[in-house]
Amino acid sequence: MALDLGARWDKKFQQWMASRIPPRESVTLDRKIIYIIPSSNGLMFVVAAGLVFIAAINYAVSLAFGLAFLMVSIFILAILHCFNNLNQLTFTGLASRAVFAGEQATFRVKITRSPTRKHEALHLNFPGENSSHADLFINDQVEVDVFAAASKRGYFKAPLLKTTTYYPLGLCRAWSVLDLNLRCLVYPKPIPFVMSQFNIGSGGTDDSAIIKEGSEDFYGLRDYVPGDSMRQVAWKNVARGQGMQVKQFVDYVDNKVWLDWDMFYGFNTEERLSRLCYCILKLSKQDKPFGMKIPGSEIPPDTGPEHKKKLLRTLALFGVE
Amino acid sequence: MDISYQIPRTALVWILISVVMVVLPQSLRIPAWISIIALGCVIWRVLIFTGKLNYPSRLMRVGVVLFTVAVSISQMRNIGVGLDSAASLLVLGFVFKLIEMRQKRDIYVVIALCFILSMVSFLYSQSVVATLYIAACVVVITGAMISLNRSVLISDNSGTIRLAMKLSMQALPLTIVLFVVFPRIAPLWAVPISSNGSTTGVSDEMAPGDISQLGRSGELAFRVQFENGAQPFHSELYWRGLVLDDFDGVTWRRTNSSSSSSYGRAAALSDFNFNWQDRVNTDGNPIYYNVILEPTQQPWIFGLHLAEDQSNKYFQSRNFELFNNGLITQRTSYDLRSWRSNQTDVTLLDSGRRRTTSLPDDDGNEQSRRFAQQLRSSVNSDRDYVYAVLANFQQSEFYYTLNPSLLGDNRIDDFLFNTREGFCEHYASSFAYLMRAVGIPSRVVVGYQGAEYNPYEDYMMVYQYNAHAWNEVWLEGEGWVRFDPTSAVSPERIELGVEAALADDPAFMEDGLFSAVRRGNIDWINAMRLRLDAIEYEWNRRVVNYNEDVQFEVFEQILGEVTEEKILMLLIGLASVALAVVGFTVIRFDPPSPQTPVNKFYKQVLCKELRKIGLERAPGEGPQAFCARVSRERPELAGPMAEITKLYIQLNYGEKTVEQETIKTELRKMKSLFQQLRTSV
Repeated sequence: MALDLGARWDKKFQQWMASRIPPRESVTLDRKIIYIIPSSNGLMFVVAAGLVFIAAINYAVSLAFGLAFLMVSIFILAILHCFNNLNQLTFTGLASRAVFAGEQATFRVKITRSPTRKHEALHLNFPGENSSHADLFINDQVEVDVFAAASKRGYFKAPLLKTTTYYPLGLCRAWSVLDLNLRCLVYPKPIPFVMSQFNIGSGGTDDSAIIKEGSEDFYGLRDYVPGDSMRQVAWKNVARGQGMQVKQFVDYVDNKVWLDWDMFYGFNTEERLSRLCYCILKLSKQDKPFGMKIPGSEIPPDTGPEHKKKLLRTLALFGVE
Repeated sequence: MDISYQIPRTALVWILISVVMVVLPQSLRIPAWISIIALGCVIWRVLIFTGKLNYPSRLMRVGVVLFTVAVSISQMRNIGVGLDSAASLLVLGFVFKLIEMRQKRDIYVVIALCFILSMVSFLYSQSVVATLYIAACVVVITGAMISLNRSVLISDNSGTIRLAMKLSMQALPLTIVLFVVFPRIAPLWAVPISSNGSTTGVSDEMAPGDISQLGRSGELAFRVQFENGAQPFHSELYWRGLVLDDFDGVTWRRTNSSSSSSYGRAAALSDFNFNWQDRVNTDGNPIYYNVILEPTQQPWIFGLHLAEDQSNKYFQSRNFELFNNGLITQRTSYDLRSWRSNQTDVTLLDSGRRRTTSLPDDDGNEQSRRFAQQLRSSVNSDRDYVYAVLANFQQSEFYYTLNPSLLGDNRIDDFLFNTREGFCEHYASSFAYLMRAVGIPSRVVVGYQGAEYNPYEDYMMVYQYNAHAWNEVWLEGEGWVRFDPTSAVSPERIELGVEAALADDPAFMEDGLFSAVRRGNIDWINAMRLRLDAIEYEWNRRVVNYNEDVQFEVFEQILGEVTEEKILMLLIGLASVALAVVGFTVIRFDPPSPQTPVNKFYKQVLCKELRKIGLERAPGEGPQAFCARVSRERPELAGPMAEITKLYIQLNYGEKTVEQETIKTELRKMKSLFQQLRTSV
């Protein structure tokens, strides 16, 4: 119950934060958006300063007072320097690579400093995710990959990006929460599917057949290129004095491989998309042309990485605004 | 969320250095075996660090806890619950934590303990050197914290130490403000610092050889500054400590001081806090002076006869000794006034007379007793007798030396008629004996005689080798009168100082550091020594001695009438000024970035032009988003707009190292594109 309440509060808080922070591609941190609180180590440090102070009172030791005050001053300076470590850093969101649902989405963030400053030990993370580390020690700018679990297909809008630092003394934690308008395309999660269940088309030599280099049928002759197999050289033609020629063989392949929405009868939408995604990955490896028909779009057969991307993108955005 | 909790390796080195640094001053005081354990733990930690040993097992840890408990119990039984036992325990717990720490959190426990141990060092010494050392410790501990929070990929130790020093320096102004202005609070509960540190200075017993032992020490006993430069002559500087009036044939003691445990309470020691003014006659004006006494681990303090404490913190005993309430375990500053022309106990009570004329019945020394009676019968008055005894010391072949021959069973006889060489305690002891032998009340006074003048800060330094013993004799109608038999033997001891009197004695100051140098009397070294001591003296007066009373005086000077509100306002005011100054130096505010020509063109020419046709760039709208919107609403502008935006992004957000020439040509390109766009508009 308490946990539930905590989670609800957390969600409310996130929403409140999101409403406070306008999405921008590039943000420079300043005092309006940097927050600082003492860390637990800092509280321990303050307790130690308190002990020194009490001892100073009770033993009436002047320099122990001095030590207690020095500790307090160091603590205050830790706050200032910690703030400094974030102040005036510029964060810019960069384009991110598409991923499959269930994978870690990788968001690339560029951090830029002004040349006169050094910033160290920055930790970037999305709520509940592992943090990535960045130093702007030697370079004026770094690019950092920050990870977030992509659970649903479609456009994944990154959660609020949190940048935290404990530098230099670890006595306080300064952080800032940004919305860099980071987006990432999430393809459906591929689910294995036995391909033989559907028809990959029949062999044949009709018009639409495409020719691919192979070893079955003789197709013609072409000029010899160094490196060709000696067994394929048309020696008869050489004997006739027509020069070195090579026999070409081809396989006839049916291009009418269609991935069809209706092939996955009995599955719901997401399950169909996942299986389609699997088939696309599988088929694109075989380098055979294939097309896809799903409600609302029909993509003619083709090969190559661009084609694959186009198909996956269609799946990812199926039914998504 | 998941910031690495592991300890970086460089940070560990820093921590180990800090630990060694803060334990080092303690190791002078804690039992040696604890220092050895501490060293062992540091070495163990280094071996864990290099991978040769493992962390302690669970069994080991339980064993360590039991061991510490056992040690603490035995320590309390042996030396009592006090600072020393607490310090040793703290060190033990501290080094055990060291071998056990694995995570950053543990390191912060160790760091907090480092600061607390630094504070413990201040309980023992607040000298300039100790303060500088602790300041260095704080810088190193700060460095440890910095390296703990730096990336493991960066190994930049010089940067770490620079930052640590910078941070400490920046922390200094605020520290000073807080030190001066933050209201000092009186102790919440009384904590006597009972230390088993050995006592220094003159003690409450005097046997032959006791004071000459102090003559070998060049340590400082106390510093004195007279108000208005009213310094007495060197021969008048008798710093009275204790009055010893009980003699057992060998040793002089205070009467009723058999139980030394009662030293915790001054009232018990000073017998009673009687109305002493009735027993004295004073003449003339008192002289005022301030004394800063080095810790003695004894309860009494020193002053010129007849001294009165100005703050009523010290107790006057019936023999006009001054006692502190508790042992002097730290440097202590007190203000006294003394009436140098005074008479005390003009009428002597019978009990007092009995006490100060009694001699043991069976002490032998028949020759001395006979000598005394013969001498007394040859003169008319007690005063003449005193002079006769002093003349005897002067005229017979007596030697003033730190290394006298050993005395036989009849000590007084042996000294007066046989060896005839001794230090002040021999003379004082036999003088008092000769007085008592004919029934004249007399007693031994121990304290210091003489001082070295420091011209740099106009004060005097009294060393342990100034320790001295002299006598007080009660004379009818005059009360107690001071006589110094040593001055009869060695007048230069009193007039010029012990340094002059013993310059050729090889035992003089032989235990002191640089004693050879000091005896060599090289001018510039002497000047430097005095200069350094003057710094130490000022440090004590202004910093170490800055307590509630001094602070109140400072407040009065600044505020006039002191009220709580005024103090609070002063504190807040000064602290915020210090904080603001430090804050502005620490936080670097960038000047608003100068507009690059590219940026200027984009924002002030292009966006302005587009605003005219109702396409205003929303705040926070990126150039790409803006371009998309413009192209959507005015498709005829899409071409040049996209080109300009592309160039703009490339120049403004791309590599910063693009050459000026390229920027110029690109900007020209942008401008010509803008002309196209304008015509389309």
